[in-house]
Amino acid sequence: MIVAQQIMPLFDWDWIGRNLDTIWARTVEHLALTGVALAVGMVISILLAALALWKPKTYAPITSVTGLLYTIPSLAVFALVAPFVGIGNTTEKFITAEMALIAYTLLILIRNIVTGIRNVPPGVREAAVGMGYRDADRLRRIEFPLALPVIMAGVRIATVTVVGLVTVTSLLGLGGLGFFILDGLRRSIIFPTEIIVGVVLSVVLAAALDLSLLVLGRAMTPWTRRGSI
Amino acid sequence: MDFLSEVLTWFGEPGRWLGSDGIVPRTMEHLWLATFPMLIAVATALPSGVWLAHRRKGEFAANAIVNVGRAIPSFGLIILAAVFFARAGVSLRFWPAVVALTALAIPPIFTNSYTAIVTVPPQTVEAARGIGYMENEVLWRIEVPVGAPVILTGVRISFIQVLATVPLAAVLSSGGGLGQYVVRGFAQGPAGLVEVFAGALLIALLTLVADWLFSVGERALLPEGVRRLTSADTRAAASVS
Amino acid sequence: MRKPIRSRVFGAALLALMLAVAACGGESGGDATTSTSTGAVTTTAVGEETTTSSSGETTTTAGGPVDGPTITVASFNFPESVILAEIYGQALEANGYSIERNLNLGSRELIFPEIESGAIDLLPEYLGSAIAVGFGEEAPTDEDEAVQVLTDLFAGVGVTVLVPAPGQDKNVFVVTGDFATENGVSTVADLADVGDITLGGPPECEERATCYAGLVETYGLDNLSFESIQEGGARVSALDSGQIQLALLFSTQPVITQMGFVALEGTEEIIAPENVIPVASNEVAEAYGDDFATLINSISELITTDVLLDLNGRVELDAENPEDVATAWLTENGLLNG
Repeated sequence: MIVAQQIMPLFDWDWIGRNLDTIWARTVEHLALTGVALAVGMVISILLAALALWKPKTYAPITSVTGLLYTIPSLAVFALVAPFVGIGNTTEKFITAEMALIAYTLLILIRNIVTGIRNVPPGVREAAVGMGYRDADRLRRIEFPLALPVIMAGVRIATVTVVGLVTVTSLLGLGGLGFFILDGLRRSIIFPTEIIVGVVLSVVLAAALDLSLLVLGRAMTPWTRRGSI
Repeated sequence: MDFLSEVLTWFGEPGRWLGSDGIVPRTMEHLWLATFPMLIAVATALPSGVWLAHRRKGEFAANAIVNVGRAIPSFGLIILAAVFFARAGVSLRFWPAVVALTALAIPPIFTNSYTAIVTVPPQTVEAARGIGYMENEVLWRIEVPVGAPVILTGVRISFIQVLATVPLAAVLSSGGGLGQYVVRGFAQGPAGLVEVFAGALLIALLTLVADWLFSVGERALLPEGVRRLTSADTRAAASVS
Repeated sequence: MRKPIRSRVFGAALLALMLAVAACGGESGGDATTSTSTGAVTTTAVGEETTTSSSGETTTTAGGPVDGPTITVASFNFPESVILAEIYGQALEANGYSIERNLNLGSRELIFPEIESGAIDLLPEYLGSAIAVGFGEEAPTDEDEAVQVLTDLFAGVGVTVLVPAPGQDKNVFVVTGDFATENGVSTVADLADVGDITLGGPPECEERATCYAGLVETYGLDNLSFESIQEGGARVSALDSGQIQLALLFSTQPVITQMGFVALEGTEEIIAPENVIPVASNEVAEAYGDDFATLINSISELITTDVLLDLNGRVELDAENPEDVATAWLTENGLLNG
């Protein structure tokens, strides 16, 4: 018995050649979705982390709520937001998608920022106070840079995870590279090339961003490269 | 609040809970689609992680496997698995999801099992050896019990992740547990948003309850002394949490 | 104090980079930038020379751009609908109309509110389904009668119905060749005797009189159960693997002939004529008048069922993109030169 799917080649280089511009456009879309999620997520996380550091009692509820958002599957979060934001046009879809993606990054980022800052050696903190630094200043100029390695670790994890989650937005009509994954399934006869391209490029993109952030992190913290201070 | 009353009506429809497409059977399917891959993953990744850590081998793998696992989109993995099963003429309702979910489940279990054993205080292990414990006694009576919290955390994280990914299998066929409501609803536009929301509520509820139950179970299973012995913060930082 | 400044600058650079990428790549929702089904972002504006295909063909607008409202062209969420929308859309573009694409929107349940509200201006509809599913009325089995009924129905919501094409794309219920021979079925009514079987179709099929619900009621198929399988590829796969025995496909899907599937006959009682029939919002129809209608109708004339089969084949079997297939067909028929 010949199964319908066997008609399609497992990998068709021609298709890629014919569709380079679409592939590029979808990659850009993927980057956009990821970038906005991380940027907004970072802003919100910094604010909430600052709050948690200033008023330690708020840390537990903040972690609980963001932990909730983290646990709930992204598809469900899209689905909870969609009826209220709508999915009629691209803007609405983008907002619905972003709300879920941003919500997902919060726990990781907040936790890493707070942990990073708390783990600054007390001796350093005391020295800074001794030198006359006030709270906000100290946070900004001493503690934050020292916490950067841990924070960047969190940013990297969040970024890689979001890249994966963006593929799910294809169910909303966006998807970035996830579009190819779903489209390959949609055709009457499943088309492996598209699916493979979608998956492979997602992984490549995640790896590339991870590497870039690693390099950026190292560049921002030259003291860690030289070993202990 | 019209919308919310529509959602309530959806829940109240006849056959909604126990019918063939009902909430109860779908929840059962959802749990089964999550548990089956977990059993495979635990059976393979846990022992290997523990064993390798005991022998102090494979550290690179332990770190790499989590990073690689995170980079692979689970959505893509499910559909990729479907490609191969479709070509083999196998129904897409069950196996593609299982294969993909098992692959998804392995990294946290493996890495946490590894880290758990590797971070057991070396003095404790040496002391045990000094008293005359044999290797397997060191493993089973010292390392595993001390490492148990982190191992169990890894299993929990893995299970919740898998439970959260099951809904994606709904695009493949009529499966996907509670995810079917969401995927189906999205396909029906504005009229379907009620089903979408209801499905999402159910999924959210399921995952949160599962997470909570698992955490409670973790604490209940572990002897008080073991939990206090492990410095939870530093070990959690080293593992996936 | 170099270090703090440096890390601040880098931090700001990081944020700026992310925002820049987001700004460059993000869709400016609602404006003239929209996504086609294949994801290529196209901007069309009145007065611009537009490139309509990724094979690099540039079309010159004949007689200059046409003044008037932008025409939002929409399609359902399957390739054939996208091809048709692209055909009409690209032809309009070539003739100087400014269009905006909103493709792969979804099923009729999703699109109908949009066309009724005027958010969509042009949609390649299907005669029978529009009446039965869109308006919930019974579709006459005579084509002319059906056209009249649809025209009246759509007029009531501010939509103009244009001339139907000869090509039809009906729902067909398909079994594998093996199944047909083993069980001796050639019509839908024959299914009553084959024991418990399952129909696989998209979710909306379950309730439709033109689909599962209709099958059970009209042909007395108590032995038939339903399984919801959204995506076409997955449905064909389910049929192949025996997960389902009966699948809802479309009569113009080449996979049927390619794989020796059998489209069961005798469905006239629930399936009405399904000619491709473009419908346009009154706003656009009135703004552009006869020229617009003539253009659209001249294209519709050429769309036969065989054309549909051919075009679908290029997408399904040759893995080409719907928009490229549309461009190629328009070019072959000399329709892209204004």
